[in-house]
Amino acid sequence: MSIVTTSGLKKVYTVGDTTINAVNGLDLAIEKGEFLSIMGPSGSGKTTLLHLLGCLDVPTSGTVSIEGKETGDLKPTALASIRREKIGFIFQEFNLLPVLSAVENVELPLRYQKVKPAERRRRALEALAKVGLSERANNKPGQLSGGESQRVAIARALVTEPALVLADEPTGELDTTNTVRIMDLLRELNEQLDLTVAIVTHDPMVAERTRRIISIRDGKIESDKAA
Amino acid sequence: MTFILRNMWRRKARTFLTIFGIVVGIFALTVLGGMTARMNQQINGMKSYITDKIEVAPAGSSVRMMGGGMGGVKLLELSKVGEIEKVPGVKGASGMIMVQLKAAEGMSQPQMMIGYEPIAGTSMFNNAKLSVGRELQPGDAGKVLLGSTLATDLNAKVGQPVTLLGKQFQVVGIMDTTLGMTDSWAFVPYQDSLNIFLAQNPYFKAEGLTQGIVVFPKQGVDIEALSSKIQGSVAGIKTTSPKQAEKQISNISTIFSAIILGIAFIALFVGGLSVINTMIMSVSERRREIGLKKAIGATTGTILREYLGEALMIGLVAGACGMLLGLLAIAGLNRATHASNVVIFTVTATVIIGPVIFATVLAGLAGLFPALRAARLNPVDALKEE
Repeated sequence: MSIVTTSGLKKVYTVGDTTINAVNGLDLAIEKGEFLSIMGPSGSGKTTLLHLLGCLDVPTSGTVSIEGKETGDLKPTALASIRREKIGFIFQEFNLLPVLSAVENVELPLRYQKVKPAERRRRALEALAKVGLSERANNKPGQLSGGESQRVAIARALVTEPALVLADEPTGELDTTNTVRIMDLLRELNEQLDLTVAIVTHDPMVAERTRRIISIRDGKIESDKAA
Repeated sequence: MTFILRNMWRRKARTFLTIFGIVVGIFALTVLGGMTARMNQQINGMKSYITDKIEVAPAGSSVRMMGGGMGGVKLLELSKVGEIEKVPGVKGASGMIMVQLKAAEGMSQPQMMIGYEPIAGTSMFNNAKLSVGRELQPGDAGKVLLGSTLATDLNAKVGQPVTLLGKQFQVVGIMDTTLGMTDSWAFVPYQDSLNIFLAQNPYFKAEGLTQGIVVFPKQGVDIEALSSKIQGSVAGIKTTSPKQAEKQISNISTIFSAIILGIAFIALFVGGLSVINTMIMSVSERRREIGLKKAIGATTGTILREYLGEALMIGLVAGACGMLLGLLAIAGLNRATHASNVVIFTVTATVIIGPVIFATVLAGLAGLFPALRAARLNPVDALKEE
């Protein structure tokens, strides 16, 4: 079964008198265990697509289905629940909360799932171990390097064992060495945990490390091929 | 809770200033609250004294005898007592002479000597408890009943003599502390105090004078109606029924309540606005974080609770600090005036809990709008924030 499918997906923004078709009739299916990248120039609609796939945004028309369940008519609370249970997000700027330690940042989604404190600490430490950051568990984000911060963010994304991990330019703020490390880590997690990962990027070096590359232009799929 | 406390301390200076602003208001509220509590105690002490009797003053005098000190320069003829006693429903009436023992010092109560004619079967003090001994009885010449503060001041014991204004009296009883004015009063038989009064005021040649008359009704008689009846049937007097007396006393507490209310409004304004400001700043600084939290599954309610919690916590901390500082000030001031047997402030549960609840609710209400703004943020927009 597909983890996520879209059908005739459209997102239209109106800025002043201009209408922007950010996503313009897009059909897509992502299967369990896939490791894919969504590429495209800036303004091609790839981030909007990611937001729609992750139920952060609602489409103007068309549908998004997560594990076969259509999300179009869901209320904000139900969408929040899908994000909480099914989706893991990784952002370009890491988005770690500065007041929380690494392990507390990783715990955050479990907190919203109302997992008990002891259990959520155990799972968060486990997730940190998977990204190789056990020894940095009690450090605050300010004490972590860019690469380490992104690994904490990855641990936060996978701690809930989500159906789908969506990464928005996850290496955008990192140097080449760290980019390679993060991509290797994501690929490892994909292989070992059968984690489904979709990465939005404009960096060919990132894309070529995934197994499927979807190119987007003007809100439409330009090409969709195995890497 | 972790979030709330840690987020509060992210901008320490700002949080501190916000809290400080509320603390000032709550401090003032607590201190004035303590003062009002003390006022009310005195007023209640007064009320229990006046509920069962009618006070009679010379016509045209505006000052009540027991509520406001001396009845003024006007005097009544003692024969009015007899006239009043003839009015149906009156059990007995007694002339009263008040002489000052010691003038008020600063905030302290004046010490007074009250002379009255004890009437068998009535209690001058509405059966207020005596600490030791008994009330005055008919034929108690040379005896004195002391208020608790005055008794302490004089180091008086029942059965032993005390000297008041140069005359020796034998103590027959000491009253329980009422926290009212009567605590610093000495009660003596009418004739004893009249003698002292005449010695002090030699230009009053005539005997048979009284400054006021206190009237006791018979059991089951409507005391308000009786008051009007006496007013109507005896010339040259002005009666004050318990209800009228209570109204006059209540006017004093109304003024204090107005002051408290004023302070509360200032605290409300200053504190409320600074909480709103702080929370709006916090929300706009943390838009990205709110976006992130929503992205990983926080609901509108979760975010609302987080930010409302922060505002409530600011209020609670500020309220508690302001209240504690207020209590410290009260304790210090009470200690300072302790030597002169003066209590200006009373700490009641309301004085302690009231300001804290007030500050917390205030901050919560002020934080509601910013918290709602935070909770309703669109995650996509919030995540775009730089």
